[in-house]
Amino acid sequence: MKDRPEYFWNNLGIAGLVMTVLLWSTASTAAPITFNTALPVAQGEFLVREQLIVNQSGDDPSAANRDRTASAAVTAMGYGINHRWTVFGILPYRDIDMDLKIAGQKINRSNRGLGDVSVFTRYTAYQNNQPGQTFRIAPFAGVKAPTGKNDARDNLGALPPPVQLGTGSWDYFAGVVTTFQTLRYQVDAQASYRVNNEANDFAAGTIARLDASLQYRLWRTSAEGGIPDYLFGVLEANLVRQEKNSVNGSNDPNSNGTRLFLGPGIQYVTKRWIAETAVQIPVVQNLNGTALENGYIVRAGVRANF
Amino acid sequence: MKKQILIGLFSLLFLQSVFAAGTRYEMRVDGLACPFCAYGVEKKLKAVEGASDITVDLNKGLVSVNIAEGKELTEEQMKKLFKDAGFTYRSMKKFPL
Repeated sequence: MKDRPEYFWNNLGIAGLVMTVLLWSTASTAAPITFNTALPVAQGEFLVREQLIVNQSGDDPSAANRDRTASAAVTAMGYGINHRWTVFGILPYRDIDMDLKIAGQKINRSNRGLGDVSVFTRYTAYQNNQPGQTFRIAPFAGVKAPTGKNDARDNLGALPPPVQLGTGSWDYFAGVVTTFQTLRYQVDAQASYRVNNEANDFAAGTIARLDASLQYRLWRTSAEGGIPDYLFGVLEANLVRQEKNSVNGSNDPNSNGTRLFLGPGIQYVTKRWIAETAVQIPVVQNLNGTALENGYIVRAGVRANF
Repeated sequence: MKKQILIGLFSLLFLQSVFAAGTRYEMRVDGLACPFCAYGVEKKLKAVEGASDITVDLNKGLVSVNIAEGKELTEEQMKKLFKDAGFTYRSMKKFPL
């Protein structure tokens, strides 16, 4: 790992953020696009979500002129164990591409393949069902296993962590999500925390995150006495605070910080599937040193009941 | 000719007993607020023996199902079914078909 230039480490805020985004925007019912929900998965039933994510970062304050695009196809599956417990599994396929300059020469480093698998469980601790509405609170906890390759190399040597498919570490996360849903609108909020452990002399900073989502029904099909389709306008906010990375036991002063994203989106909901898209725009980026800024994150996906 | 008419009448009576018999249940359910969630309810009701013509009215919070003659839905059965789907069963009305 010591053969990696220092500027590579500066990207790790982005890497950590991407992984966080991938792992916490999981399969669920009609729900936020960028994070989870407390809505139920019926006992014994499956649902599947496929989401494409493009995370672009650039505007490099350093001389390396870094530009990074991390794309991922994230497959997530949820299974209702009973009316309180649901388990989720997440597997990302990642495609990472980074351009930068070394000694005035432009180089490219890239990688693609399966990333780290995550599994987590959610417990519905409280629910209050009323006619046409529901309110729920559900804590969750899970683990990310180091199943993705984390020692890939190219002709320049070992790839830096931002270009590796996996982190090599077992990481743990937990949080609580709450949902208030009516026939007209839905509000979700989530607080979560993630501990990233060391692997290969590197540990990404721990992440604390607050998320909120409003989904407001803009239109519905006419389905007299039946189940209509809904079109929702969506607005989401994600506040992500990531501590500095640790490299060989020392904090990297040019890594991570605080980011606030606003994400307008749209969601079409039927009883069998949901199609949705959103763009997360960074409105605040209070980063450490020369940590690389986010440009935007685009998401598009479908969910299906089985 | 008389024989044919009699056979026709008996056939009609038989068909009526087949298609008209049974009960329509109309259940009030709380927590139903989105189409995607309602599918879990439909799927669970479809698995009930003798169930057909399932409708979910989100606006009214009503779930209706036809149950074939000789079969019956119970309050306990429905409480569990809707609980397993993540919702709250409140009450039931029966209408003969």
